[in-house]
Amino acid sequence: MLQQASLTLRDGTTLDDLIMRDTNEVSLRVMTDEELYGHEMERIFAKTWLLLGHESEIPLSGDFVVRDMAEDNVIVARDREGNVNVSLNVCPHRGMRVCLGEAGNKPIHQCIYHGWAFKPNGDFIGAPVEREKMHGNNVDKATLGLKKARVHLYGGLIFATWNVDGPSFDEYLGDIKYYMDQLFCRTDSGLELLGPPQRFVLPCNWKVPGEQSGSDGFHTLTLHRSLMEGGVMGGTAESIYDQAPGMYGVDVSCEQGHSLRCLEAEKTFKMFADIPFEGKSTVERLNLLTPPGITKEMIPQLFNNLSEDQVEQLATFPPQVGGMFPNILIAFIFAPRMDGGSSGALALHTYVPKGPNQVEFVNYIFAEKDAPEQMKRDMLQNAIQGTGTSGTIEQDDADVWPVIMRNARGGVSKHMTLKYQALHGHEQPEGWKGGGLLYPGFTKDDTQWNWWMAYHKLMSES
Amino acid sequence: MTWVTKSTAAPDSTTILRGLVSRRRVPLGSEIYNRLLETLYDEAATLDERRFDDWVAMLTPDLVYQAPIRITRTGPNKDRDVMRTMFHFDEDYTSILMRTGRLQKSAWAEDPPSRCRRFVTNVRVAECETAGEYEVVSYLFLERSRGDNPHNEQLTAERRDIWRSADGGYVLSRREIIVDQSVLGMSNLAVFL
Repeated sequence: MLQQASLTLRDGTTLDDLIMRDTNEVSLRVMTDEELYGHEMERIFAKTWLLLGHESEIPLSGDFVVRDMAEDNVIVARDREGNVNVSLNVCPHRGMRVCLGEAGNKPIHQCIYHGWAFKPNGDFIGAPVEREKMHGNNVDKATLGLKKARVHLYGGLIFATWNVDGPSFDEYLGDIKYYMDQLFCRTDSGLELLGPPQRFVLPCNWKVPGEQSGSDGFHTLTLHRSLMEGGVMGGTAESIYDQAPGMYGVDVSCEQGHSLRCLEAEKTFKMFADIPFEGKSTVERLNLLTPPGITKEMIPQLFNNLSEDQVEQLATFPPQVGGMFPNILIAFIFAPRMDGGSSGALALHTYVPKGPNQVEFVNYIFAEKDAPEQMKRDMLQNAIQGTGTSGTIEQDDADVWPVIMRNARGGVSKHMTLKYQALHGHEQPEGWKGGGLLYPGFTKDDTQWNWWMAYHKLMSES
Repeated sequence: MTWVTKSTAAPDSTTILRGLVSRRRVPLGSEIYNRLLETLYDEAATLDERRFDDWVAMLTPDLVYQAPIRITRTGPNKDRDVMRTMFHFDEDYTSILMRTGRLQKSAWAEDPPSRCRRFVTNVRVAECETAGEYEVVSYLFLERSRGDNPHNEQLTAERRDIWRSADGGYVLSRREIIVDQSVLGMSNLAVFL
């Protein structure tokens, strides 16, 4: 039996009216409804783990960046002990933003309004004119710090949540961790953010790009047709649907709503050079086609940091694209270059809600810290030319999403549904070592439906 | 993993460099100034009219075309806000050819195309060290109309160019586009700046 949803909107509409679990449909109304958005802020964004950047951005004591946990602005700062702290950027005195810059180094954050001052870890230091006790006559200073979020570092990625007593980060990740580790925890020195993120806003609800980040592979063939026309994905412009490049593999997912598309390296490789993998060992395969961002010299590092089974998967079915619920897109992709190289592109996006009708697209671009400088340079270009603001792949996504949004406002249109009825059902592929919900074959709607089920679950819990 | 290693993302990678570097000014109204101004107007028309082959013909094979990101900063570093470690555009001649080639096929971001007006003003010119090369700094105001949306998307920027004399005209060998927004209000940069 389906569990009864505990969310009912003022007009009597229930969550089950909007997310139809019996028919695998979602009402377009979810993209525009202001009341629903208010609940999302509390039930999802004030509760789940959110990505805020990478620790390589703030290497020194006092270094900080300012980021957004949905519409809550936070300071992400390194303290004297070397720990990363996330504090609400709202002065507890009169509500002013304490830190007005986007990045820098400050041993003390002082509010420009009345001068209350805070440490990088958010602790209250004091208010000016100490003898007058302007922080309050009988108020304990320890209670006046900036509101602190719970922080977890994963592969150097900075995650935070307001849910101090909620699930651990590992519980949040679930069975997908085995696969995520292959991207984020595979080298000795880890990843490095190559610069501050690109930021731009789109006039659409965060869930329009959000549901796509649940591993929508199918849109690639049509919306990203230019990848095929440009020879990036194999096939020709005439044979796109016959050959369906990049559509077959194993999509992995979990009930937490995260997913990754693992594409068969041999087929991907054929797009580059047409050398078969048959009878080759894991190391030989890795040497033939190094995973995006990895050099041949770094292959031994993979064995230092991952299990043999994980390395074997990286050599045969490397995870390429996917996402983490609620608002992270992962693109760790092969990116053949005009100069013959294929150093890859490593990018993460967060889709940060800015009201029901606006989302900020934040694009973080990475390289492995141990990669040679020229490779980092190439990878920066690969990612900029493919993803984010001007990227030729994601330009087209940014053009579609606002149009869906405009459709969602029509009195008739808003009752239309998004359909997730091309379902495979999970099954264990032969010889597959990892766990989670597995969908071998042609990419279908399962992983995106799991994304909506994770949404439904959180929205049902007040 | 060690956190003391200096990262390229650290905010002290910013620079302040803006405007003209050379002090050898080419005065307003001089012949070279007028011809470079005319070239900028021609280039704007070429892009507004989506004549990409004509635009590529105005570029040199050693082109560097970049748009660094801006960030908001405070205190002693408040003017060091141009981050030359991350870009909205990071292009060379080959990648521009890839982009213009794509625009002639299935680039849905520009099919249907935007209707653009590029307003170029505040043009200042100086001679470079290399004979026949000129620094040209201009302000760009882009108005972009999409589909049936009556509200234009807008973008303002300063462009720091190097134009080189060639075949009786000038060709673009370097452009740095310094956008004013730290968060772009335009939903993609499928158009050239």
